[in-house]
Amino acid sequence: MTGMKNSKIKIGRRAALGMGVSTAAVMVAGGAARSANASIDIVHFFSGADHPMELVIKAFNAKNLGVTAVSRQEGTTYEAITQKAMAGIAAGRPPAVMTTGWKLASFAKHTLGAQDLRQFGADGGAIIDNYKESVVKLVTIEGSIVGIPWALSTPVLYINTEHWKAAGLDPAAIPTTIEDLYAKLGQMQQKTNKAVLAYEVNEWEPQAFIQNAGGDVLDGAGKPVMDSAAAVYGMQKFVEAKTRKLWNPIGLSEMLTAFQAGALSAMVTSSARLSGVKAQSAFEIKLAKMPGLEGRPRRMNSGGNFLSILARNKEQQAAAVQFLKFCATPEAMKIWLGTGYLNTTKHDLPIPAGQEAAYAQLADGLTPETVWPGARGLEALKAHIDWISRIVNGSVSVPDGLKGSKEAVAKLLV
Amino acid sequence: MFALQGRYAAWLFVAPAILLVAVFIYLPMVLNVGVSFYDWSVLRNEFTWKGVENYLSTLDNIDFRSAFANTAIYLAVLVPAQIALPLLLAFLMLRVRNRLLVRAYRAAYFIPTIVSFSIAGVVWLWMFNPIVGFLNTFFEAIGLQSHRWLNDPDMALWCVAAVAFWKGFGLNLILYAAALVGIPREVVEAADLDGAGPWTRALRIEIPMISPTLFFTGVTTVLIVMDEIVGVVDVLTEGGPYNSSSNLVYYLYDRAFRQFNFGEAAAVATLIIAIVAVATWLQFRAFERYVHYQ
Repeated sequence: MTGMKNSKIKIGRRAALGMGVSTAAVMVAGGAARSANASIDIVHFFSGADHPMELVIKAFNAKNLGVTAVSRQEGTTYEAITQKAMAGIAAGRPPAVMTTGWKLASFAKHTLGAQDLRQFGADGGAIIDNYKESVVKLVTIEGSIVGIPWALSTPVLYINTEHWKAAGLDPAAIPTTIEDLYAKLGQMQQKTNKAVLAYEVNEWEPQAFIQNAGGDVLDGAGKPVMDSAAAVYGMQKFVEAKTRKLWNPIGLSEMLTAFQAGALSAMVTSSARLSGVKAQSAFEIKLAKMPGLEGRPRRMNSGGNFLSILARNKEQQAAAVQFLKFCATPEAMKIWLGTGYLNTTKHDLPIPAGQEAAYAQLADGLTPETVWPGARGLEALKAHIDWISRIVNGSVSVPDGLKGSKEAVAKLLV
Repeated sequence: MFALQGRYAAWLFVAPAILLVAVFIYLPMVLNVGVSFYDWSVLRNEFTWKGVENYLSTLDNIDFRSAFANTAIYLAVLVPAQIALPLLLAFLMLRVRNRLLVRAYRAAYFIPTIVSFSIAGVVWLWMFNPIVGFLNTFFEAIGLQSHRWLNDPDMALWCVAAVAFWKGFGLNLILYAAALVGIPREVVEAADLDGAGPWTRALRIEIPMISPTLFFTGVTTVLIVMDEIVGVVDVLTEGGPYNSSSNLVYYLYDRAFRQFNFGEAAAVATLIIAIVAVATWLQFRAFERYVHYQ
């Protein structure tokens, strides 16, 4: 106790005044800095400090535009980051900018409250002017432009060139039709006795088959039409790989692991996976356009995500617009192309090595990923995927499975 | 100075615990039951009265019924397995005289329990990989047919059950081993002097004496199988192919946080609470009379 008494510090009137003045000065300066430098959260699911998403954010912050973008990786799937965004919105603190999957576009507009970029006047228009008209259509939901078309990918055929050479096939002459592909893979299987093909069992790749056969999953009015004769034909071609024993359906991560380990000759997956797959593989990979169906016009689909503004207050919205403005520049897009996503802008940027087939597919024209409308759209999507899985696993025939999907989806999209 | 006396003192001491349980367990349960009668838009904070419609649509949903059936299978398979096998191993471990070996066994059996689901999941995904995985490589090497494991609707549930067993049995094993070690030596010696063989000793002396532990693990294993298996399901199969490996809690997660249908998810949660409450009550009714606490 005595020690404490002795250690008491006496503060004189002058010292006290000085401290008060300096505290006030710091507060004023701090307040000024806060109002001049808005901070916005950019929610995404891309991991790694050197991921192009982080690099874009870093490059934006380096510009010192009075807005600090804070990277928030809040999960590894669209659903996971959407859950957290919803919690933030419910608490009155929505993320300023969020990465949103195409399939969630309707949900983003109606439920998350994604802002129409055109409401930001000239700034909004100027941002959109940087993008190709064909991809702006992908983010136009019921007349609203709900974000910038940031990440665009398309299903392409990945080839292990060593397997093709070992089977006496020319990796430069990749089949352009599914019928030819299956024939070639049959030959390859006989020679190499390896797993020769894998597709993803989801809604995306079957959509490519259905569209290439002349069908659709949902029509323009959002009604399910996946049981049309053309759609049935497309799905039959999809599962033909299994009935011909060229494809033993496996999960996505298993497919990627097997391909990277050199145990799989070909797989169909997103063009955006190229850099990741290449980094883990010790053989030469070639990407080819996804083969079409003989005698039917090609109509390939796309996937990926857009950046939407979820901020509700004016200051956050203005700061988010600044960020999107930067994302639309050649500088940002050049960094972003390091992911393997396609260039959605009008900027003339070099095509990354190996992505020529994906760009050729883009040049042919891509349709959007199916957008599942309505409050129960995501449920409808899951019901559709479950029916696709039943078809692939042979639990139901293709016509019955697609009919089952239509009935299930129709109930949910009322 | 003041002194706390009588029943007020007791209330004061238990008040923090009661308050926490009331606020964080019972209040949410009551609110959940309330939400289950509405269509709740979290973002607009709008409630639309739906009556029992959420319950009817849940019971009518084929995915719910399949999740319910799967939960029954998981319980029927895993509860006996996670009680009987660790008990058997605990008995065997007690017969091992080498202390170092006992510690090694204990560690080996317990490690899966403390490994996180995400790490265990990655390892098991690699093991189950139909093309480059260890299991098929091994099967092919010994001339057996390879399988699609997690991708096969007829096998996915069994793969999940196997991994859940591997992940969970160590905890019960440690509890049984500790309980068996705690049996008074003189009781065991008396049984030996009376000529009881190992089987008689186990069935008549040791198992009855560890009955509180057996009862405790019986109740907790049911809860663990209902609840914690979700981690394995999520990492390995996400409930697929087409819900063939899902369970009730995973179905609840899917409705609430993937499809954002909170009203129906609340109805599912209420049904799960009811099922767990009935199951636990039945366990108490059926088995508590056999438990000896002295």
